[in-house]
Amino acid sequence: MKMKVVFLNLLLVVAMAVPASAHFQMIYTPEIAKTKGAETDLKLVFTHPYEAGHTMKMGMPEEFFMLHQKGEEGKTKKYDLKKLLKPITWTSLTNSGEAYEAKLPKKIVRSMGDYTLVLVPAPYYEGEEEIYIQQITKTYMNVGGLPGNWAAPAGLKTEWIPLVKPYAMWTGMTFKAQLLSDGKPVPNADVEVEYMNHEPDMKNNAFKKEAKSEAPHDAFVTMGVKTDAQGYVTFAIPKAGWWGFCALGSGPDKEFKGKELSQDAVIWIKAVDM
Amino acid sequence: MKNIIAKIVVVAGLIVLSATAALAHSPLCSCFDNGDGTVLCEGGFSDGSSASGVKIYVRGDSGAVILKGAMNENSEFEFNKPAGHYTVTFDGGEGHSIEIDGSDIVE
Repeated sequence: MKMKVVFLNLLLVVAMAVPASAHFQMIYTPEIAKTKGAETDLKLVFTHPYEAGHTMKMGMPEEFFMLHQKGEEGKTKKYDLKKLLKPITWTSLTNSGEAYEAKLPKKIVRSMGDYTLVLVPAPYYEGEEEIYIQQITKTYMNVGGLPGNWAAPAGLKTEWIPLVKPYAMWTGMTFKAQLLSDGKPVPNADVEVEYMNHEPDMKNNAFKKEAKSEAPHDAFVTMGVKTDAQGYVTFAIPKAGWWGFCALGSGPDKEFKGKELSQDAVIWIKAVDM
Repeated sequence: MKNIIAKIVVVAGLIVLSATAALAHSPLCSCFDNGDGTVLCEGGFSDGSSASGVKIYVRGDSGAVILKGAMNENSEFEFNKPAGHYTVTFDGGEGHSIEIDGSDIVE
């Protein structure tokens, strides 16, 4: 009996010792700075990227679209990508979860300019905390180096507005972005930052087992920063690869189906070595 | 005399300013075969500015210009694909020109 109690206590300690990594909605494609337009594969996964940890079951997104603009004076074209979504199963290092993929035809990723990918997922019910989480997520692509609308708001309930070209970051550069809720800056917001530490395997819909870095302490798995009085964050990028920024509960919607809703804003950027 | 010096200073200032502007951005041009016998070229500059009005030359195998025109208000220029080898020149002025070989222009 005593042994059983000791064992249960040990199990509890081990369970609690698992680093608390953060939820991150991903929109992933390997190459975002494209020389020429090309067919583009995207994976939408709701997971814990640093540790390639538990992957959550995504429902059919509320919205998934792309905004394209060629040149700063060009007109913004909107493409609905929801009809291109196909369900997949994504395998993390600890489980498998329902996710989505989309193959963008070359005809819509042909022109030079900026492409903003926007995902408004269905709220996800986190049973343990009895809350819903909805991470409104953006990432960017560029073709041919001609800039467009990368610094323009997409008109989302909550979103990050980058002040640095998010597809043209060298490792070591400082990323700066402003957090908006209903178009207004959000001061003093809690922002979680994670590195995509396990490269996604596009063919097998899984994270690769090899980690790119080792966290010396749990606090390095999910880093914390806060927005300043005008809603800005700055963050120097220490390593090549993908970096995600998630502002917790920054959106205006606070309730869904009678439960608390955390409406978060996520942005993904990619840095490359010189 | 004072007038002449003032003029020289203004002209020198203008040269410096225009030289800075010319160096600040680079030309960008991309062409693709529409697959229906036409080719579409689009252009711009690395600072996001428009290429509207930039001259375009299409040259045949001998190097002679077979077609000339300018980028439209959307920074685009469309033309019928020439038979045989050809090149496209985006002529944004000295140091701002790009030549694209027809063999690199694909669907």
